[in-house]
Amino acid sequence: MPESPSSTDEPADGSGDELATDGGSTAGVDGRMSGLTTYLRERPRLRTLAIAGPPYGILVLFFAIPLLAMLVVSFQADQIGGAWTLHNYTDFLTSETYLTVVWRTFLISVQVTAIVAAVGYALAYSIVRFSRRTTLLLLLVILPFWTSYIIRMYAWINILQSDGVLDSLLDLAGLPALGLLYTDTAVLIGFTYVWLPLAVLPFYASLTNLDGDLIEASKDLGAGPIRTFLSVTLPMTINGVVTGIVLVFIPTFGSFITPRLLGGTNNIMIGMVIENQFKSAFNWPFGAAIGMVISVVVVALLVVAMRLGGGLFGAGGETA
Amino acid sequence: MSLLRVRGLTKEFGDLVAVDDVDFDVEDGEFVSILGPSGSGKSTVLRMVAGFEEPTEGEIALDDVGIVGSPPFERDVNMVFQDLALFPHLTVAENIGYGLKQSGVPADERRERTEDMLEMVRLEGYGDRTPSELSGGEQQRVALARALVNEPALVLFDEPLSSLDRKLRQHMQGELQRIQLETDTTFLYVTHDQEVALAVSDRLVVLDDGRIQQVGTVEELYEAPESRFVADFIGDVNAVEGRVTAVEDDGIAINTGDEAVTVPRTTAEEVAVDDAVDVCIRPFQVRVESADADGSDADAPADTDGTFSTTGVVRSRSYQGSDSQYGIETDRWGRLSAEVRSASFEIDDRVTVAWDAADVHVYRRDGDGSPGGDGGS
Repeated sequence: MPESPSSTDEPADGSGDELATDGGSTAGVDGRMSGLTTYLRERPRLRTLAIAGPPYGILVLFFAIPLLAMLVVSFQADQIGGAWTLHNYTDFLTSETYLTVVWRTFLISVQVTAIVAAVGYALAYSIVRFSRRTTLLLLLVILPFWTSYIIRMYAWINILQSDGVLDSLLDLAGLPALGLLYTDTAVLIGFTYVWLPLAVLPFYASLTNLDGDLIEASKDLGAGPIRTFLSVTLPMTINGVVTGIVLVFIPTFGSFITPRLLGGTNNIMIGMVIENQFKSAFNWPFGAAIGMVISVVVVALLVVAMRLGGGLFGAGGETA
Repeated sequence: MSLLRVRGLTKEFGDLVAVDDVDFDVEDGEFVSILGPSGSGKSTVLRMVAGFEEPTEGEIALDDVGIVGSPPFERDVNMVFQDLALFPHLTVAENIGYGLKQSGVPADERRERTEDMLEMVRLEGYGDRTPSELSGGEQQRVALARALVNEPALVLFDEPLSSLDRKLRQHMQGELQRIQLETDTTFLYVTHDQEVALAVSDRLVVLDDGRIQQVGTVEELYEAPESRFVADFIGDVNAVEGRVTAVEDDGIAINTGDEAVTVPRTTAEEVAVDDAVDVCIRPFQVRVESADADGSDADAPADTDGTFSTTGVVRSRSYQGSDSQYGIETDRWGRLSAEVRSASFEIDDRVTVAWDAADVHVYRRDGDGSPGGDGGS
């Protein structure tokens, strides 16, 4: 038995009983890999560590530690290393201005999520049910990801601004200009456009797993298209729907670029406030405290939403 | 008036004609099977009756009302799907009550009828389970109950028993017959499995390559198959090549080697002198007797008095309970199989093989009568 996995000049037939069947052809890299496999097979703990270690390490390094650091900072006065205080939290939670911004952010996020879910589900459904060119259409759905987020936002500025592409086209058609840029509508359009692919992919995945026979069975038993959708299609794909909603709701709630670029001065969202604390006001502890509160609120909202979704549709979505 | 009337039903998928001018009827209370190899178009016929496919041509009438063009949820038929298609997110009771709910039956009546149906399929107390907690046979029962509870005019079956093992399948066949009689419902059952079809059906519709081969009772199809395909497909058959040498009023003379045997006219398709034909005989109609060990009978002439006979050697035997199946290498006609009761031969025994000309069926060899489909369904 070789003790070291890196014994390069070990002949293949000498690297373990399990390898005897490999014959003489196994040598060099193959022999080394098999040696490592054998080595780890005999040490289950080490093997578990080798497999699970890296992802956990990354999670700890880039998620747990920064979150902890933020938590610590959020309890400090004025600046990092300042005195311990609860002021950051009390200031935020008692400020009507900030809470109004949170409420606005919540409303926009709900609207965006609802629009994206509806449009995305319709899109995914039509790709699955009515199209033969599924791969091409999916490619088109994710194609925008090849371009930078910021550039795409500037493209929307170009389209939506007064005398921009949209208004010019409307003008050609003899319709009045809209001048949508710097309105709530512009923000909704921008978000819908950016997050749509994130929702379409999980919707698509769950819809392709849906057994077409179940749809036929439902119709066979007397349910029309709408009844069938509500009592079979939607419950059977609820996991994908929840995934899509989570993927859209969370980044919308924390977003600051889209509302800054497309929204007006009075369309402030909470992400912009947090960004401002870190980049302009240099009040990191206050920014960290808002961040913590928002994180807790979002997680709580999602837990409630998922419970509700699960309750509505029973065991739902266990597509085999 | 037939409950279901199908006339000139045709379905084309692009260039492929899946169903070609199919006519048949199903009477009220009957158990009719559509039997055919995979790719024969039998499932497509069923799907057109259910409303999942629109016919290219032809009409389907249920209770004398045309149903072509009406959506599946408006047709008074219910289907038991091949993979059952039970709703995994609903309980057994909810699955069964699904159709009643759609038609607006109030909750307490729904519960009552679901309970009755669970009792009918012998699954009392299973209502609160989910389909995944049931065995294959139990799931079949739920699927059946889900269709029957709506009291449809016609229940359609798309080979639902094919996934079960033989013993359970035979049991479910019996259950199907019992439930059909108890509920007095009409069943239209699609299968490629002749054993299932023969066991359960009042009448059979044999389909091949989209066309009807024969419609009749099980006995008619077995005893008087109209084509070589039907003869082969319904039960086993031996075929001996021959040539027609004379067509008389009282019979047809067929030479299957060196002698002509006259067979009754009633058994044959229209044949003419010099046609190449297959003379077909069921294994159970073949008589086997011991021959002299020295093989002196080898050149015994085929009798012209209405018996086919030759000698041969036993090459295989398989015990099948009440009888034994022998494979016999004959001197005249190659390998034949025979089912013999209460006689025992060993491998390599020399035997004489004979059967009555009255039992044979004669079909022209025109090349397209052989069984076996092309392509999946």
